[in-house]
Amino acid sequence: MVKYIARRIVQSIPTLFGITILTWIIMLAAPGGPTGALVLDPNLTPQQRERAAEVLGVNDPMPVQYIRWLIGNDWHWFLGPIDYNFRDRNNDGVPELGTDRGILRGDFGISFANNNRPVLPLFAERLGATLELGFSALLFGLILGVPIGITAAVLRGSPFDNATRVFAVVVNAVPIFWLGLILILIFGANLKILPMGGRCPVVLTGGCPPLYERLNYLLLPTIVLGAGGVAGYSRYLRASMLDVLGQDYMRTARSKGLAERVVWFAHGARNALIPLATFLGPAIAFVWGGAFVTETIFSWPGIGRLTLQSIVAQDYAMIMAVTVFSALATVIGYIISDVLYALIDPRIRFG
Amino acid sequence: MKNVAKFLAIAVVFALIMAALPGATNAQGGGGIIIEATFGSGPNTFNPLFCNDTACSRIVSFLFPGLLGTDPDQQNIVKGVPEAMAQDWTISEDGRTVTFKLRQDRVWSDGTPITAKDFLFSWKVANDETTKSFLTFYTGLIESVEAPDDFTLVVTHKVASCNAVSQSSLPFVPSHLFAEVAPDKLNTLPYNINPNVTAGLYKFGEFRTGEQTSLLRDDAYPFEKAKTDGFIYKVVPDQTVLVEQFLAGETNFIDGAPVNRRSDVKAAADAGTVKAYDFAGNSWDYLALNFADPTNPQNGLDKNGNPIDQGKHPLFGDIKVRQAIAYAIDVDSIIKGAVFGEGTRMAANMIPTSWAVDKNLAPLPFDPEKSKALLAEAGWKPGPDGILTKDGVRFSFTLFTNQGNTRREAIGKIVKDSLAAVGIEVDFQLIDFNVLIERFRSQTYDAFILGWRNGYPDSPDQTQLFARTSDVVGSGSNFTSWSNPKVDDLMKKALSLPGCDQAERAKLYAEIQKIFQEELPYIPMFVINGQYAARSTVNGFDPRPNEPFWNIQTWTVSQ
Repeated sequence: MVKYIARRIVQSIPTLFGITILTWIIMLAAPGGPTGALVLDPNLTPQQRERAAEVLGVNDPMPVQYIRWLIGNDWHWFLGPIDYNFRDRNNDGVPELGTDRGILRGDFGISFANNNRPVLPLFAERLGATLELGFSALLFGLILGVPIGITAAVLRGSPFDNATRVFAVVVNAVPIFWLGLILILIFGANLKILPMGGRCPVVLTGGCPPLYERLNYLLLPTIVLGAGGVAGYSRYLRASMLDVLGQDYMRTARSKGLAERVVWFAHGARNALIPLATFLGPAIAFVWGGAFVTETIFSWPGIGRLTLQSIVAQDYAMIMAVTVFSALATVIGYIISDVLYALIDPRIRFG
Repeated sequence: MKNVAKFLAIAVVFALIMAALPGATNAQGGGGIIIEATFGSGPNTFNPLFCNDTACSRIVSFLFPGLLGTDPDQQNIVKGVPEAMAQDWTISEDGRTVTFKLRQDRVWSDGTPITAKDFLFSWKVANDETTKSFLTFYTGLIESVEAPDDFTLVVTHKVASCNAVSQSSLPFVPSHLFAEVAPDKLNTLPYNINPNVTAGLYKFGEFRTGEQTSLLRDDAYPFEKAKTDGFIYKVVPDQTVLVEQFLAGETNFIDGAPVNRRSDVKAAADAGTVKAYDFAGNSWDYLALNFADPTNPQNGLDKNGNPIDQGKHPLFGDIKVRQAIAYAIDVDSIIKGAVFGEGTRMAANMIPTSWAVDKNLAPLPFDPEKSKALLAEAGWKPGPDGILTKDGVRFSFTLFTNQGNTRREAIGKIVKDSLAAVGIEVDFQLIDFNVLIERFRSQTYDAFILGWRNGYPDSPDQTQLFARTSDVVGSGSNFTSWSNPKVDDLMKKALSLPGCDQAERAKLYAEIQKIFQEELPYIPMFVINGQYAARSTVNGFDPRPNEPFWNIQTWTVSQ
């Protein structure tokens, strides 16, 4: 198994590089750039705009920018005399090299759109909020979706089954931003029983209380973000369960005289849950990557909102960091998924 | 089925427990707390060396002393504002050097005196690109900064300018904290998000990224102290939620509700639950018309300063045509249609709150008949399809604006209809913002709608927009190729007038505005009105344009 995992990790390296190169090309091919925000100031001279671009290093040729992002800028000696590195601290015409380390050495650069703060701390500051919301939504989806799916399969054709089908269609059709706003208006503005967004109470001092004291802040965003999961998991589980219900071993279990409940849950559901393992990979990427719309509507300070703002501002360093981490999470998620699948399902072997 | 029922019961109980948890409360001391929500990502640095957006500026202005002070009624920088570091200054004969005399009695919260060194440090940072600070912009304007003693600053500018004073305003920072820090590590200091040494009306409280920043009253502030216990700046990235939170009382101050929600704020004001203040803002939209031949863009001047033949735009090269277009467009309808009436008309190129605006200059009236007459004078006759023609050319052009901006989309639609009424065909196209920028910088367009956002205090100098030296293909902002030597002279004179007397300068700017209205490089439209609103629980709320907080130390918030 160790050999299998090691091979999967090695295989994923080119995938990760491919993703970064693709993102890089798409990002730089888009018109404009991070200095775009400066164009609305009527007093700015072209020289000042140019200077901003130089400081940001976005005037360099595309491959140079990519390689600098990857391995830093202490390799420029290789190219001989250079005129595209503008980091000249002493104004003596000799650029200081090695100030960028590159992501392979853990330097993700600075975020243009965030007052030039380094990317990693900005990212790290947001991670907690995103994981909190992502895991609650995932749990919410599983806790509701799995039993609903199983029950719907067992009671196939019943009003309950039909109701869950309608629910799934409706949830998938309703735009998240609309659902979020409506819930905020009903429970926050009108009934005033839940806060209108935010992650923690708004206070002068005292910080953010532990999670169990602010579940009321988590409730609505979890419902909005997890509703899709409830719909998806329940439909998936229903199909999987129906498949299992038709298996020979179910008939065997019944013929042994077992109670229906035992047959359904001990024999049926346990097997029906196996394919769910494949869902875990994408789910981890989903949790990690944050939720653009839900985080925005609910003022949730997570990665999703950060990503959205970075894309709007064409903040290269931040977009790349988010891409790399999401790609990493997806790759790891799929490896875990495959391993789990092999562990749970005896029919599958590590090959 | 029993399982489902059990499950649903658990879910309901869970929901009820959640609902029973306390909501956001702010039971604090007696003066109350000002709570403002900001749209966008919120602040993420509080170090003036790096702060470069409106969100952090809001906080920084409460924490750090500034070089200059303003008079909210004059909307301009004035001498003698007690809180300003520079109490007085003199400008050299040549208009390039400003000598500031600093207050000698201010200290940082750790007891270190605030001196010229704290300003010089910012200048050092501006000159060092490894710091990655946007202060580097100042090096384009300022030649040198010197401090003959601890309380005198001599700032020399590259060119003589009446803006020399306002352009000198680098920040004061507690440089003794940064002395040992490598320049390229300054932007990673813990201080940047936890500024524990400050010298302002408030001191730093807490920062939770993307959520909220809190400030506490600083009892050591040597001037009138704040009556409120603190100020909370929370982040609400969705504008609908932002307005709802204000209307529900979760926040008690709002700066610039979206124009389509202003009526809700006003309704609340009529009901007495909030107080609202509207004013002419700083962002203005215009319709730019290309004077020059768009098929062969040329700079305005050659290297030696001699005019280059730029050809004439087949339609807009004629002054009568431009005037006809101005008369044909009903700007008042546009203000109603595009910004729900929340706009103030501009007669020419100055925003209404600028000290340089010519208040006697009325906007051109909406007069389609006059428009038709001018077009006829210019030789344009209605063709068989009703569209004007001249020498076989149909009066048809492409009008661009940036996609996704609903306000400009609305403006464009009304312009298209208005011009159709006088026989002009407009192909109105929405294109990506950055593509539009490339289009106008390369000067290969007929007409477009876009906007500018002026600073505060406003500098009436528009050399970057209208001087012939700024008519540079690919980079300059005089992209309509307006070429008027007299305007160039007036702008230069007004910017470098010896003594910089404001009334004298205003006269020169008035002359420019008259010429602008006649020659119309832009069809001026309107500024989008600003709005400040506070809950009625906020006492002392009495804003001025751009200065909602000029008297914030007197505010109290009743619970």
